[in-house]
Amino acid sequence: MIIVDATQLIVPQIIKHAIDFLSKGSFNPEALFFQCIYILFLGLVMAGLRYGWRNLLMGSARDLENGIRDELFNHILNLDPAYYNRIKTGDIMAHATSDINHVRMAFGFGLIAIVDTLLLGSATLAIMLWTHPMLTAFAMIPMPFLVMTTRTLGKKMHVFHQTAQESFSKLTEFVRESFFGIRIIKVYNFESVISHKVEKASEDYFNKNLKRAFANALLKPLLILFFNLSTLIILFYGGFLVIKKSITPGELVAFLQYLGILAWPVIAIGWMTNLFQRGMASLKRINALLDSPPDVVSPEHPVILGALSGNIIFKDVSFAYGKGDPVLSDISLAVKPGMSIGIAGPPGSGKTSLAQLIPRLYNTTSGRIFMDDHDLSTLDLNFLRNHIAFMPQESFLFSSTIRENILLGRSVGDERMDRIIEVCCLKETIEKMPDGLETLVGERGVTLSGGQKQRIALARTLITEKPVIILDDPISQVDTHTASKLMAAINRLNLKAAVIIISHRISALASCNRIYILKNGSINHSGTHEELVKTSRFYRESFRIQQLEEEKNA
Amino acid sequence: MPDTSIYQEEKEIKLADLYLAKTLWPFIQPYTFLFCLTTVLVFIVTSLELIIPILMQKAFDGFILPVGTEKSIHIFGFEITSFSSFCILFSMVVLTSFVIDFIQSLLMEYTGQTIILNLRCKLFSHMVFLPVTFYDKNSSGRLVSRVAGDIENMNEMFTNVLIFIFRDLFLMIGVLVVLFSINSKLAFYLTAMVPVIVISIAVFSKILRKAFRTIRQKLSEINHSFSEAVTGIKIIQTTSSRKRFMEKFKLLNFEYFSASLYQIRVFSIFMPLIGFMGVLSVAIILWTGSFSVMNKSLTLGELVAFLSYMKIFFRPLRDLSETFNLLQNALSSAERIINILKTEKAVQRISFNRERFRKISHISFDKVNFSYTWDKPVLKNISFHLPQHQSIGIVGRTGSGKSSIINLITGFYQPGSGKILFNDINQESINIEDIRKKIALVMQDPILFSGTIRENIKPSELDMDPLKLEKALFDANCDFLFDKSSGLDTLIEEEGRPLSSGEKQLVCIARAFAFDPDLIIFDEATSYMDSNSEQKVHDAMKKLMKGRLSIIIAHRLSTVRDCDNIILLRDGSIMEKGSHHDLVALKGEYYRLLEKEKI
Repeated sequence: MIIVDATQLIVPQIIKHAIDFLSKGSFNPEALFFQCIYILFLGLVMAGLRYGWRNLLMGSARDLENGIRDELFNHILNLDPAYYNRIKTGDIMAHATSDINHVRMAFGFGLIAIVDTLLLGSATLAIMLWTHPMLTAFAMIPMPFLVMTTRTLGKKMHVFHQTAQESFSKLTEFVRESFFGIRIIKVYNFESVISHKVEKASEDYFNKNLKRAFANALLKPLLILFFNLSTLIILFYGGFLVIKKSITPGELVAFLQYLGILAWPVIAIGWMTNLFQRGMASLKRINALLDSPPDVVSPEHPVILGALSGNIIFKDVSFAYGKGDPVLSDISLAVKPGMSIGIAGPPGSGKTSLAQLIPRLYNTTSGRIFMDDHDLSTLDLNFLRNHIAFMPQESFLFSSTIRENILLGRSVGDERMDRIIEVCCLKETIEKMPDGLETLVGERGVTLSGGQKQRIALARTLITEKPVIILDDPISQVDTHTASKLMAAINRLNLKAAVIIISHRISALASCNRIYILKNGSINHSGTHEELVKTSRFYRESFRIQQLEEEKNA
Repeated sequence: MPDTSIYQEEKEIKLADLYLAKTLWPFIQPYTFLFCLTTVLVFIVTSLELIIPILMQKAFDGFILPVGTEKSIHIFGFEITSFSSFCILFSMVVLTSFVIDFIQSLLMEYTGQTIILNLRCKLFSHMVFLPVTFYDKNSSGRLVSRVAGDIENMNEMFTNVLIFIFRDLFLMIGVLVVLFSINSKLAFYLTAMVPVIVISIAVFSKILRKAFRTIRQKLSEINHSFSEAVTGIKIIQTTSSRKRFMEKFKLLNFEYFSASLYQIRVFSIFMPLIGFMGVLSVAIILWTGSFSVMNKSLTLGELVAFLSYMKIFFRPLRDLSETFNLLQNALSSAERIINILKTEKAVQRISFNRERFRKISHISFDKVNFSYTWDKPVLKNISFHLPQHQSIGIVGRTGSGKSSIINLITGFYQPGSGKILFNDINQESINIEDIRKKIALVMQDPILFSGTIRENIKPSELDMDPLKLEKALFDANCDFLFDKSSGLDTLIEEEGRPLSSGEKQLVCIARAFAFDPDLIIFDEATSYMDSNSEQKVHDAMKKLMKGRLSIIIAHRLSTVRDCDNIILLRDGSIMEKGSHHDLVALKGEYYRLLEKEKI
């Protein structure tokens, strides 16, 4: 790149010589021929080198982009669910695309511009100074103003850009959520309402963008103005000098040519300021995300254990999402290997929250949870989670094949796979799929019913044998007949495991060793099925209603 | 996660540039005036830019080089006698150029952004009206990247590219004209370059566009990965499959990286090539020009001017190739956007002869067959009638086609054969929105949007008597909402936080109540509820069902027991049909299922 810039500076020198020859009236075709060849040669060298550095610089900018994005994704996979309660998916998606893009632009074009400006600019300036210091000094008069205005404008741009990007994130989120709930939007004829909402968000983005555009629009003309002023000064003062014969006309021409070369770096400053400010604002946003530490982290020196057996104790555990109202308060309970507990309670009573504390998806607010007599927070996070089979309440399938959705990268023998498929009552379902286990499901695959999704999610949970099994409402979308088959099979699957089941269906809980009834975040009642029928009104009512249904049906 | 072949977006989108222009025209058209104005301003700025070297040349020939005292130059008929007044003129030109350039830039940004705003709103509202089939085929993450990223990309096209191309082309033509006027022989040499340039642009544009297509495609895959990772985070973390997801993503990201590297490589051949042509022509002009100066057919000042003009000639070329890069990028985005806007035609084709429609009083299915993919029938020969004020229960195992019936009634999908009749009118000849206005649907997965609870039940844009709203909430047994932190104005965040799944479902039911529909569909709506809440909802359902049509899909037989009619589906066919008592008396599958449910 330095060589390119250097060669670029030689060309005017040759032209200068040629013109000085001409103005003297002497003319030597042979010399001229060599000069032309020389120019051509330099042109070739420049082209080759330009190819090289463009490739190198832009390539490394892409490399940087690649790296940032990888890191961002990795970070996102590491962040705990609590973080996602605070940040929106749309935000993250904006980070991953638009923001990273701006950073790349800053480092690709921006870097080129910087190097070009510094090298080409200073070299040109040096030659100009060498040719005629006074003339150069005069030509540089507008420079301080230029630097000042670019800086002020740059700062403004930074702010404008940041607000615009934030607005963009919001817009992205609105759009994402609308597509996600498209069926509801359609049935309720919300289309125009939602469109209006997105329109407003777009308008907001538009307005903020316009501010950014204003600063943008001012920058380039301003730079050109300063540049032209320099030209004027050179012409005026230089012309004066030529008349006084203190420089040759050729020198003045060369001088103006140099100023022409300087034009590119000057305009580049404008570009650069813009790109850099945008890039920096975006980098700030990305860094904010990258710097947000997960709430749940592995301890630095985890307790090293061979394996976990699944002895879980809750001791006075309280929990709240962020700074919100407590969702769980003073929960104490115990689960032993080979034992199963059931959890029931009205909506919003904290069942799901309780289940999520065991694989440490969230940290407790107060109180402690022990696994094999070790506080959860002293165990390595991966180690802990490797011993827990957890099924979240809402079955989510990745757009992938059924097999991949069950395995998620883990490998098990065909025998195990077949067994789990059998246990989860998926055999018939899968056989009917066009490509069996290799059928694509998820957002772009075959449309599955809620029950089918749930059973695949269940198979995913059970596919590897774990000492702790936590199932959050595993049979809510399955018909009663299949549900009872499922529950029986799950209970037989691993007799040594500690099992925690959340369900509304008493039939799913009845066989548990102990059942806890939650109410407003506290344990309201606990006991066996027989005991609870006597002690808990909620349980009794639920049981009665469910029994009544059965009797009615009979 | 699948291997990369599955990851691919729908087949590569390729459209002719002419078609692109035609489709985008309606968006540009209202702003033609602004565009023309900007273009005029651009021309003025460019002309001023072109005048500057002329002024310089005149100054050379008029003031600097002549040795005598008679110094004067003629500019546009005016005689300027002093060097200082010339300088004033020069600075005036420079200042005007600045002001106009600024106004022009601002106007251009404004126009571009406005077009983008309109395009984005149009695209979104268009997408919202697309059939559900479209959303089943395209993941939401990928679609978001259309509305957000691709449109943003086109922004460049309207703001920077279009006008710059105008300007640069104009500048080049202007320079050529000036050059011809100075010395046609020299200018002729320069024109010889033009075909070479045009051909190289054509070749490179083809290669570049292809590269950009891949880049845009990969980018939307990346978007999809992010969206999926966030949604499935709990599963990813608890199954320890983080590494796996990371590897998949790295691979995808790398593919994106290689695609962009390819683009860079192509472009870095293109740019120096243009630069080399510039140098080549400088050499040629210097060579031939020097001879002309010796022949006295060209003044030295003219040669100098010629050389400066050539700089101006090649600078836009350099710009042009840079903007050209942006243009190719923007066009590949435009292709993807237009592809969505195009989807419209297939759907709206059947919108002729639609009848106005006030109230759904009865519905029937007549030998309806349906499949999502042609080779796998989901519903076979379904016929039933739902008379006024009655309810129908649909039961069957998961995957037996229950939800598909709903997809047909709501018009999300069209039946393969057979007819669906609303008040004896074929569904096809009724505006589907008229039907939907009369239907309330409560689905398995409770879906809430960000906003307040109130907005979720009844959007603020639709007027509703607060008393009526309150009544709807009480009817839906949703009175617990009033006890939430800010009551009905509690903000709901992404995925319905801070409500629990059960509460979310109750809010969804309240929404159905608030809409006062003719037909209410419960699609396993009580699956997230405990028996107590379910009982409440059932009470409310009964209240609501009175005097309306209702369809209840359930996997528990007790839920549909009280329906006037029950349909038992198996593998997409109706196995048994009749009232609860009929079906029990039949002692068929329904009866067997009842027996099993007792266990």
